[in-house]
Amino acid sequence: MLIMNAARVSKFEKPGPRPDLPAESGAEAVQAIGRALAAHYADLVQAPLPDKFMELLARLEDDKSALKVQGKRDALD
Amino acid sequence: MPSTSFKDELLAETRNLRAFAISLSGSVSLADDLVQESLLRAWSNSEKFQPGTSLRAWLFTILRNIYYSNYRKRSREVQDSDGVYARRLTVPGDQESHLDLEDFRNALTKLPAEQREVLTLIGASGLSYEEAAVVCQVGIGTIKSRLSRARAKLVELLQLDDAPQPPVERKVRRAG
Repeated sequence: MLIMNAARVSKFEKPGPRPDLPAESGAEAVQAIGRALAAHYADLVQAPLPDKFMELLARLEDDKSALKVQGKRDALD
Repeated sequence: MPSTSFKDELLAETRNLRAFAISLSGSVSLADDLVQESLLRAWSNSEKFQPGTSLRAWLFTILRNIYYSNYRKRSREVQDSDGVYARRLTVPGDQESHLDLEDFRNALTKLPAEQREVLTLIGASGLSYEEAAVVCQVGIGTIKSRLSRARAKLVELLQLDDAPQPPVERKVRRAG
């Protein structure tokens, strides 16, 4: 994954005509920025996620289940 | 009451939410506080989420509101992103020139917050113009113009314009 992402930004070609790209000025630069942004963001998305988020959601779900059980008990009483 | 699948959906979006929070605040520890608070708020307001719309955009909106209401003062005081950016500061080198990721990140921090935010939402988080407009609470025209200005500023900062001797040429680095 690390190498794959690196490859995304590894091709900032020297200025020159590129028949496969739109002729508009700066298209290459915008594409280079797009690749760098994607690689930068991929680092953030792939960074290790602290356990506390999963724990928080698990706790919230447990609380919900506890409330449901309590609700059923209340209904039976 | 949130369902199990809603929990799973939140979990599936947490990485992206955290990445957006880091981009927004410039701080990993602040981002983690923001994510925690956003998940809590999303859970307790789950009935307000409209199925069929983008959960990501909804979560980003919640997080952004919390950030601008409560945390903005604390933002960018401490740049503690080292743990996240620990790898791949340079890209593999050959004889070609490269856009150095570290240079790119430095340039990104120099953008006005509103431009960096839009660039991130559209260019990295995969939101549509319409969704980004909802998240940022501005019109689509404003989104487009911020995006365009962000790109132009990065081109300028990274000196990617068509100069005869582009300065990026000097930034060629070799891997290893």
